[in-house]
Amino acid sequence: MLASFTWSEFAEQIVSGLADGSVYASLALALVLIYRSTRAINFAQGEMATFSTFIAWSLMNHGLSFWEAFPVVLAISFVGGVAVERVIIRPVEQAPVLTIVIITLGLALLLNGLMYVIWGGGDRPFKGGFSSSTVEVAGAHISIQYIGIIGVLALLVVVLGLFFRYTKLGLALRAAALNPDSSRLVGVRVSWMLALGWGLAALVGAVAGMMVAPLQFLGPNMMQAVLLYAFAAAVLGGLDSPVGAVVGGLILGLTIDLLGRYVGYIGSTLKLPVALLLILVFLFFRPGGLFGSVATRRV
Amino acid sequence: MPRVKLALEALAFLLLVAVVIVLPQVVSDFHARELAIVGMYFIALIGLNVLTGYSGQISLGHGAFMAIGGYTTAILISDHGMRDIWTIPVAGVVAGVAGLLVGLPALRLSGMYLALVTFGIAVAFPQVPKKYEHFMGGSSGKSTGLYKVELGFHTTPNRWLYYLTWAVALFLLAAAWALLRGKPGRTLQALRDSEVAALSSGVNVAVYKTAAFGISAFYAGVAGSLFAISSFLVTPETFAILLSVYLVVGLAAGGLGSLSGAIGGAALVFYLQNHADAVARWANHLPWLSVDPKQQGISSVVFGAVLIVIMLLLPTGAGGLLQRLLRPLTTRLYTRS
Amino acid sequence: MRTHVLLVCVIGAAVAVAAAGARPSATPGVSGSEIHLGSSVPLSGEAAAGGSVARGADAYFKYVNARGGVLGRKIKFTYLDDGYDPSRAVNNAIRLVQQEQVFALFNTLGTNNNLAIRKFLNQQGVPQLFVASGATTFGRDYTAYPWTIGYIPPYSEEGKLYGKYILAHSKKPKIAVLYQNDDYGRDLLAGLRKGLGKKAGSIVAKVGYDPTSSDVQPQIAQLKSSKATMLCIFAFGKFSLQAFNGLNRVAWHPQVFVNDVSAASSLMIAVPQKAANGSISITFGKDPAAPIWAKDKGVKLFQSIWRKYGSDIRSIDYKDGYLVAGMASAYTMVDTLRKAGKNLTRQSVMRAATHLSERGNPFLLPNIVVRTTPSFRFPVTQVRLQRWRGRAWHPFGKLVSIKPG
Repeated sequence: MLASFTWSEFAEQIVSGLADGSVYASLALALVLIYRSTRAINFAQGEMATFSTFIAWSLMNHGLSFWEAFPVVLAISFVGGVAVERVIIRPVEQAPVLTIVIITLGLALLLNGLMYVIWGGGDRPFKGGFSSSTVEVAGAHISIQYIGIIGVLALLVVVLGLFFRYTKLGLALRAAALNPDSSRLVGVRVSWMLALGWGLAALVGAVAGMMVAPLQFLGPNMMQAVLLYAFAAAVLGGLDSPVGAVVGGLILGLTIDLLGRYVGYIGSTLKLPVALLLILVFLFFRPGGLFGSVATRRV
Repeated sequence: MPRVKLALEALAFLLLVAVVIVLPQVVSDFHARELAIVGMYFIALIGLNVLTGYSGQISLGHGAFMAIGGYTTAILISDHGMRDIWTIPVAGVVAGVAGLLVGLPALRLSGMYLALVTFGIAVAFPQVPKKYEHFMGGSSGKSTGLYKVELGFHTTPNRWLYYLTWAVALFLLAAAWALLRGKPGRTLQALRDSEVAALSSGVNVAVYKTAAFGISAFYAGVAGSLFAISSFLVTPETFAILLSVYLVVGLAAGGLGSLSGAIGGAALVFYLQNHADAVARWANHLPWLSVDPKQQGISSVVFGAVLIVIMLLLPTGAGGLLQRLLRPLTTRLYTRS
Repeated sequence: MRTHVLLVCVIGAAVAVAAAGARPSATPGVSGSEIHLGSSVPLSGEAAAGGSVARGADAYFKYVNARGGVLGRKIKFTYLDDGYDPSRAVNNAIRLVQQEQVFALFNTLGTNNNLAIRKFLNQQGVPQLFVASGATTFGRDYTAYPWTIGYIPPYSEEGKLYGKYILAHSKKPKIAVLYQNDDYGRDLLAGLRKGLGKKAGSIVAKVGYDPTSSDVQPQIAQLKSSKATMLCIFAFGKFSLQAFNGLNRVAWHPQVFVNDVSAASSLMIAVPQKAANGSISITFGKDPAAPIWAKDKGVKLFQSIWRKYGSDIRSIDYKDGYLVAGMASAYTMVDTLRKAGKNLTRQSVMRAATHLSERGNPFLLPNIVVRTTPSFRFPVTQVRLQRWRGRAWHPFGKLVSIKPG
């Protein structure tokens, strides 16, 4: 039984769609950062993000406020990402991509189990960084939490953009990803750039986790569906395009949420299959996504 | 020497049959049921082996094919009053067809993308029964009823389940073995080692790879069907993404391309999944560890670590089995258009 | 290749060795010194909060054991996690009955879970006692399922009570309903409809959600646009919390009715109070966080038992209504075991369970009589309405009887 359409609700749905999209965009961004450097899809991205969020939860249980815990978690996640790359990815840097993919699968399993063991399996409320009240704009009630999430994404994009474009390290990272051999000749330590990429990805993923947890409650399986949406966003935008990940995420969030709300057949039940469908459509008809340039198969 | 090898393999099979027949007399009734479930994982892993070990296509979504088999059985039993044993082949066929439908577009996807898509299938599929509530039972699930002894046998329901499962498993094992020994198997291995060479020798790569998907899905469907019968019902969560990942672990642990290793893999998957508390209690012997045995999770930790270690230990230079397996796939990933 | 065959044999042998078959005794689960009870509850996932009923019951059993047990036998309680998934509940039930050889299943949680295991338990003649679900069928369908008995007030009657209350307090009610889309939620919805009688049309919008989804926020936004003035939240676990969060996020403040099982103080206190204030629910147990019971003897007993015999103790536990609910059912369980006598069999315990007349359960509201007969299997059918205000539940009105007609 669907209620009728009102403009104020539509506006509210747009905002919540963009907020969800921001979460997908952040996780997709993390996926792209790793894909650009390691040429592999990191199946553990979601679990890494959830793990970081659990760390935030623990810190908050020990008295820190959300915003006090935030930078600490980002730092821990960054170090964690670097560690993961150094310990389990580096030995197989030259291995077939599929080996790396399976290793990330193992990592996902490991982290998932670890979360159950350390924090227990129950879903728990997570107090985010933004108040849960609303502001009224022309009859529509816009949630501050959603605005905050979108704002954090915007900030993230700006900061990363500045980093990649205007810092030496950012430039080195881009060079190492684009052309590892030439970069080595110029003195870039390509191997460490890979580690840096993983660290950054873990950091970005942690942001995604801490943004989505207040909405969905924190539990070990929190990011499994989000990961699929992030895959869809990354494929949509182009697996090697950071811009694509952000745009793809926002478009995906809006599309899926609006479809879920206004197309009765889809409802909230078929949102995941719609995302899968999008992945398939793009992989077959436009594997490079909207902004990317991914290798095509050649036999 | 091929003939010696053949004789040894036949002997191993007969040994297995003997063990299967004798075991229920030695173990308790409940353990017969547990061993039956090991058999179900074994069937699924044989199928997964055909796909990944032999035709070189990865699937992170075999839980979904098991689900299709399981739901087919449940629907046939619940809504059409079919006897549970007759639903097993039907479930396999339905899942097999689904496998073909996935296998066709899969031809265009290289390893990593196939992993992505099959992962997506595993995550998205549980939504389907929730949408088609009347047909598939929604989140409450679809019932298959209690299993009971059929065909005039005189034994307990659990032992019946065991014999049913293992009879099917041994039959399907023999079938897979025969298939892979013969021309289809050699063709699959040839195309796994070098798709280009196989193509240029006139092999219809598309047919073989798609068929592999279909066969593999058939096996998974049969396993899912038996699973459904053993649990009295299926729900969307019965075949969640975790199961698909555990199957990959079982595959890796048992050895890619090794049918007999699949039994070890199946036992591993079963034991770690259903006796997680025993694993936890064992782990608690370590001085710095204190895990609540009721809490799941320790299995995934062990599984994940096992998977990582296996992958790290395989030599990355020439000669590693996985390397050989995946070379034709990876050369494509590095080409730029 | 050979190593794999070897591996097969080794594993087969190991499994066989580990399979120490249990010899079935005359009455499984009962020995001269012990009674073995089993349960399956969600300890992980979206409904993990409810799993505390098993922890509470466990602590109470330990307390009873320390005082000599029941007629000389100590109670051993084995409870397994099913993550709120019926197929896992089935596997747990089979394991409890066939491997652990429990005497009976007690206080298993979840409507769907209990429905899934009911046939098996009845076929095996294993008592399914004091089911932690108010689905009417558990009390009503005893002819088909004689080994099953419920405990908490039936959901259909709870929904009916809300319907009647709405009619008595509003001339032209416009009601929206958010319900869990399974037998549990639908039972409540059907009751609401019955309670509204001819005015069932007052339900202007209803939206179901599936208990494994991630968020009910979109559903709340949808319901808001129906412009209803009242909202019934028939949810469970994290979803009721999300519903309240959602109410706040869309700035909608209808009169909220939230069903008892999902209205624990520990949950209500974690949501924006602006959304929670004024919510109405029912209660039949003593909520340790409600100020009215702050000095109550029963609650103090709960806290002292938990302090001494609890597991995984955290400070918030002392205000956890689910723990108390578990102790309430455990109290009735012990009562039943005593009544069943020294010659304890599955038949004798069912006979005791269907002839209850228990007063003075310290964990239930005062004056509640837990009463059953072989043809009336709803042990608890008396409730009070309560209202959420000032971060706590305040019961109002008298104890009403909501017996299924």
